[in-house]
Amino acid sequence: MSGMSFLAVAAAILAGAAAGTGMLRRAWQSKAGKTPWRMGGLALLAFTVIWPAWPLGPVRGPFIAITLISLAAWAVVSSGYKRRPAKAQRAGRESLAPEPAERLTTKWRTTLRWLLAGPIGMVAAMAVGISYTVWAPGADQTRLLIGALIVPVVWGGAMAWTLADNRIVRATAVLTGTAVIGFGLSMLKGFA
Amino acid sequence: MSKTSGKTPQRSWAPSPAFVRAVLNGHGALGLAFAAVFYLICLTGTLSVFVDEFRRWENPGAPRMEQVSPDAVQQAFTAALDQAGPGVEHAFIHMPNSSEPMLRITTDAAGKDREWYADADGHLAGEAHQGWTEFLTRLHINLQLPRVWGRVLVGLAGVAMLSLLISGILAHPRVFRDAFHLRLGGSRRLQEADIHNRISVWGLPFHFLISLTGAVLGLSTIIVAALGLAVFQGDTQKVYDLFVVPEPVEDARAAPPLDLRPMFAEVARRSPQGHVGFIRIEHPTERGGGARFDVETAPELLTNVDVYAFDRANRLYYEKPAAKTNLGEQILGALAPLHFGWYGGAIVKIAYGLLGLGLTYLAVGGVYIWLARRRDKGRPAPVWERVWTAIVWGQPAALAMAALGALAAPGMAALPLGLWAGVSLAMLAAATSLAPARLALTGRVATGLTMLASALIHGGLSGVTDPVAAIADLTIGLAGLALAATLFKAFPQGAPKEQPLKAASTGGGNR
Repeated sequence: MSGMSFLAVAAAILAGAAAGTGMLRRAWQSKAGKTPWRMGGLALLAFTVIWPAWPLGPVRGPFIAITLISLAAWAVVSSGYKRRPAKAQRAGRESLAPEPAERLTTKWRTTLRWLLAGPIGMVAAMAVGISYTVWAPGADQTRLLIGALIVPVVWGGAMAWTLADNRIVRATAVLTGTAVIGFGLSMLKGFA
Repeated sequence: MSKTSGKTPQRSWAPSPAFVRAVLNGHGALGLAFAAVFYLICLTGTLSVFVDEFRRWENPGAPRMEQVSPDAVQQAFTAALDQAGPGVEHAFIHMPNSSEPMLRITTDAAGKDREWYADADGHLAGEAHQGWTEFLTRLHINLQLPRVWGRVLVGLAGVAMLSLLISGILAHPRVFRDAFHLRLGGSRRLQEADIHNRISVWGLPFHFLISLTGAVLGLSTIIVAALGLAVFQGDTQKVYDLFVVPEPVEDARAAPPLDLRPMFAEVARRSPQGHVGFIRIEHPTERGGGARFDVETAPELLTNVDVYAFDRANRLYYEKPAAKTNLGEQILGALAPLHFGWYGGAIVKIAYGLLGLGLTYLAVGGVYIWLARRRDKGRPAPVWERVWTAIVWGQPAALAMAALGALAAPGMAALPLGLWAGVSLAMLAAATSLAPARLALTGRVATGLTMLASALIHGGLSGVTDPVAAIADLTIGLAGLALAATLFKAFPQGAPKEQPLKAASTGGGNR
């Protein structure tokens, strides 16, 4: 594909993304009759992700589309910004997120919480990733790579959960159990 | 589940306020713990997208070509071996391509890398300058720490980013109701929260992709070690063997430089539509030498490289066409292009640059939300306001100074690191005495002037003939001018007014 053709496809993706996001904003602004705009916007965004697969490649096209959609969406959101007067400090407070919880904690609980989010979460995530690698069907490289992709996702999830959960013993039990079961299942079969 | 009298109970999918508050607590704690590391990794990552362009900027006089003959490559390769002297373990030949239309040869002798550009006839055209590019990529990939530890820390930051994405979604019950709100001015906290949330939500696929690929790339050492331990009785080499091209049989007896020309001919026969992008040569002056050719085939695919490996006798001992790779090999091949935006030409690079700046701002704004919340609650943290401002504006200044140092003294490899560390420490030291507004102004103006000086010195002294280097000069110069000009905006009529947190804004400090 020549440079100009690529540019035309990218422009079409940006236009579709801006139109789709614009329709969603129309739904967001409307007091009634939101559904057609919302469905239309979502459908257009989905179409904008899919069609570039033909001119740009089955994997490359959708990845380029997803990247450009984010940019177009930022442009649409930015275009609708509102400037508030300096005195409008109090009026916007209701839009703020709730205050973060303030836990009464102890040193050992804090230490355990970060251990769970860090090394213990990592071990549990490794156990899940390795179990996948050991038990899933498919080529060796595929199982290993998907297992490797699972590890950060599960670890990230465990981190989010353990840092939020007030019941630290529950988090400890679940992560330890996951690690034991995951590695146990892996050892049962081994890598074949 | 909520109950309404006299009606069928209706299920509510909205998370409870207690849940949201608990998740926000974890989100804030993790974000604060990693804020500086996130900021540095995201800022350097955004710049690293343009590493090819920076390399061209550092070498504006390097000969450009669309293609080069095998004879010329052979001549340049042997000339580079002569220059490198005895004991060359590996040589790497980067063939001309659309983003870097130059012939570049790297040699590795006793752990010391040397690099040259060559012209289309194969004559060496001088040693390549790469002080800034090397410094930047090492800062991003391993934070200039020992390689394994640095990569693990960066990988851990990738996991923490994934965690923040998850907790950010869970902590945002108004994600649809606020989807298009962007309110600037008024409450600083509301403004920062709106910017933070809009960037996060609409950039979510990109943020997830960057965090996941970054985490896997960074943690690969640990993951491979764990996989090797668990499934190959500790033999991690067996994991690597599944992915890497085998090396030729060792034979350390001396031999003349490897002849690549018959290999080029065989590669052209096997991949007639392909373009040789990269050649890795093992032990080029030993009998056990060999060469691996990476041949780019279908540009519409993310993993599009046919691999051919030859021994010294030109025997093809390994062959892996892209069409025969399995899903795992394709994912592995796609990780770096997807992480750095090297799969769709200039448009995707620019998009990655802008989205990367957005991701960088998430780290900056997240801390400002925390600081503004503390101020709102009557518990301001003035020390942290100064420290964070020093980091936010110290890093661009430090990076700009590192680039200027590499430009001014290309032979001094350690200079960029020294300048970066020096400016970073100086800004932190300044935080002990300067208020946030002055710190931000100092950082902005220092960054702007340094960038402007880099562009002027580079454009004026080096005789830029490469259009990409000229565009880089223009971009750097204009960005520098814009940042330096904030000095005049800050002093419209006499002395500046100090507004501790308000004026410490990033980019809009004088609103």
